[in-house]
Amino acid sequence: MGKPTHLSEADIAEFGRELDAVRDEVMNDVGERDARYIHNILATQRYSEVVGRAMLMAGFLPPAWLSGVGLLSLSKILENMEIGHNVMHGQWDWMNDPALDSGTYEWDNTCPSDQWKHSHNYVHHTFTNIVDLDRDLGYSVLRMSEDQAWEPRFLVQPGIALTLAAFFQWGVALHDLEWERIGKDKSWSEVGTQARGIWGKVRNQLFKDYVAFPLLAGPMAPFVISGNFAANFNRNIWSFMIIFCGHFTDEVEMFDVEETRDEARGQWYLRQLLGSSNLDGSVPFHILSGHLSYQIEHHLFPDMPSHRYREIAPRVQAICERYGLNYNTGPLSKQFGGVVKRILRMSLPHRRKGNTLADESSVDAPVYAEAA
Amino acid sequence: MKPVVKKLLGSPLVGALTSPLSVDDYLALIDRRLSLREPRGRVSAVARQTPDSVTLTIEPNDNWTGHRPGQHLLLGVDLDGVRHSRCFSIVSAPGDPLIEVTVKRNGDGRVSNFLVDHAERGQLIYLSPAEGDFCPGPSVPESALLISAGSGITPVMGVLRDWLARDLVQDVVFVHYARSATDMIYAAELAALDARHPGLRVETVYTAEGGGRIDAAALDARVPDLAERETWLCGPAGFMDAAEPLVRARSNRPLHREQFAATRREAAHGEGAVQFVKSDIAASGENGSLLEVAEGAGLKPAYGCRMGICHACKCRVSEGTVRDLRTNRVRDVRDTDLQLCIHAAAGDVAVEL
Repeated sequence: MGKPTHLSEADIAEFGRELDAVRDEVMNDVGERDARYIHNILATQRYSEVVGRAMLMAGFLPPAWLSGVGLLSLSKILENMEIGHNVMHGQWDWMNDPALDSGTYEWDNTCPSDQWKHSHNYVHHTFTNIVDLDRDLGYSVLRMSEDQAWEPRFLVQPGIALTLAAFFQWGVALHDLEWERIGKDKSWSEVGTQARGIWGKVRNQLFKDYVAFPLLAGPMAPFVISGNFAANFNRNIWSFMIIFCGHFTDEVEMFDVEETRDEARGQWYLRQLLGSSNLDGSVPFHILSGHLSYQIEHHLFPDMPSHRYREIAPRVQAICERYGLNYNTGPLSKQFGGVVKRILRMSLPHRRKGNTLADESSVDAPVYAEAA
Repeated sequence: MKPVVKKLLGSPLVGALTSPLSVDDYLALIDRRLSLREPRGRVSAVARQTPDSVTLTIEPNDNWTGHRPGQHLLLGVDLDGVRHSRCFSIVSAPGDPLIEVTVKRNGDGRVSNFLVDHAERGQLIYLSPAEGDFCPGPSVPESALLISAGSGITPVMGVLRDWLARDLVQDVVFVHYARSATDMIYAAELAALDARHPGLRVETVYTAEGGGRIDAAALDARVPDLAERETWLCGPAGFMDAAEPLVRARSNRPLHREQFAATRREAAHGEGAVQFVKSDIAASGENGSLLEVAEGAGLKPAYGCRMGICHACKCRVSEGTVRDLRTNRVRDVRDTDLQLCIHAAAGDVAVEL
């Protein structure tokens, strides 16, 4: 488990400087082209929503219902994955456009943006894959690492994972309540404030998808309700799959608190790299994943405009290869297969030995020695 | 937008249908100028009076609530993907449904230079509500003096056009300082008005063509009865510093001044330490305004004009000692919303960013 042993502190610092150089180059280059990209995404998301909802109003015709669900799913996925998540990371703050401001953007999700920015931007992106600190590691309901103590409740975690996939946004909404801290170092009044925020988002989404649009549809209401439910369901499944492939694939590394104390920049980059995994695919696939298919690049540079990850990925991969570091990538089938395997394996108490990257990377070490 | 349509779109039901996005986000699919609340406009005419300027006529949407004479507004444009806003005086009279501004090329001013070089009909412009109190009320004095220099002519023209439109010009002297004849905006209009209106006398001074800068003797010669006149004054900082004491020494009548760019009284450097509370970053307050310090620390606070006009960078300061860069005044603040671009640290400051 943990970080590779074949790199000296100086190597890791140099590795960090090379990544900094990639980041600086892109961030100094953002401009018109990036603005055009996000404006196209925004227009696609909104048109597909408008047309999708309109088609659901004719949902008694099966083809209309199906295309309505497809378009609304596309819109909801784009809004959460490629727009909301990335806007809230500050990827588009440089545009100085109030509609794309990380401070004020609110997304179509039952999780309020301020709670998301705390649990995701701060806790998860800072303490990525550190057992006991990164609350995304199993979302406090799943055991995802040998270093999490096994408890009998984990025997049913395959079922829990399926339920989480189907209702993913609700899990996300409740995530920042940090129920394990309630009554200990977190007061009930703080929880109450958060719960009111969540209720506001829940109410708005339920009213919009299951009351207001069905009312507009009149006799077509059942088709609109089922269509909206299907679109939310599709987004839950999709975002669950993409997000779980980001940190829980087969070869991904977990870390303990001790080894990550007082990390320098290069070491932080190293942990982000080893704790993340990418997905291979086509450009539309990457866009639909919110470019989280470039989870490695996203964790190295969370505030870089997402479509740039595609462009820098070959360079990041080349840097990793030179340092003999595993650049974990593969098609969705392989990576998600690894996730499923991990969920099943970790539900059982036994501890598997000898599959950590520390061992694998020692095999890679000579490659680095040659390159150096 | 028809009022009934606007009322419908602004209703809570439509708001719920678009939530958490705004109605504007969807209106943008039809036309980016459409908005329920924000004033936006399109350039409806472009004229170039001089080689280094452009006169824009802007057709605002119905969120534009009009202006008083001599007021200014922010014009926002997206340049290389980034929204930039700068402040310009409104030349058109308040009764005019269209907004007229004249923009002069300005050193490294990106918005000004972009508009001078590339403004075209149909272009989208983000607007702000009009601001400023160059003209405190609708009354017009019996005798008035208007003095301007360079692009400072624009708010003064706005005041004059208002008086002319209301047919209230009795005895107005307009002294304008331009570098040269080819450089002067509104030269033709002023000459025509001068010829047409007996109550208006226009004196144009070309400083680079032997006209000389403003001084006591020349002012006395041009406006011997200055003591009787209420004065409106606008121009670059150096011109204002020279002209204001001359006018004040000669007249006790009210003097109205409009100054562009917040002139910083001294280099914008602060003291003390700045603590950005939310992001848990500490920075030295020495390097410029709080906005610049925040940006230097890697933060990306919202901003607009960067000269104290638009309030886009307003941010809560939990506590600290700050210097107002326009007046140089130092004060202690606690839980106060401040414009970061025109305040620097004068001691330790905690900013909620």
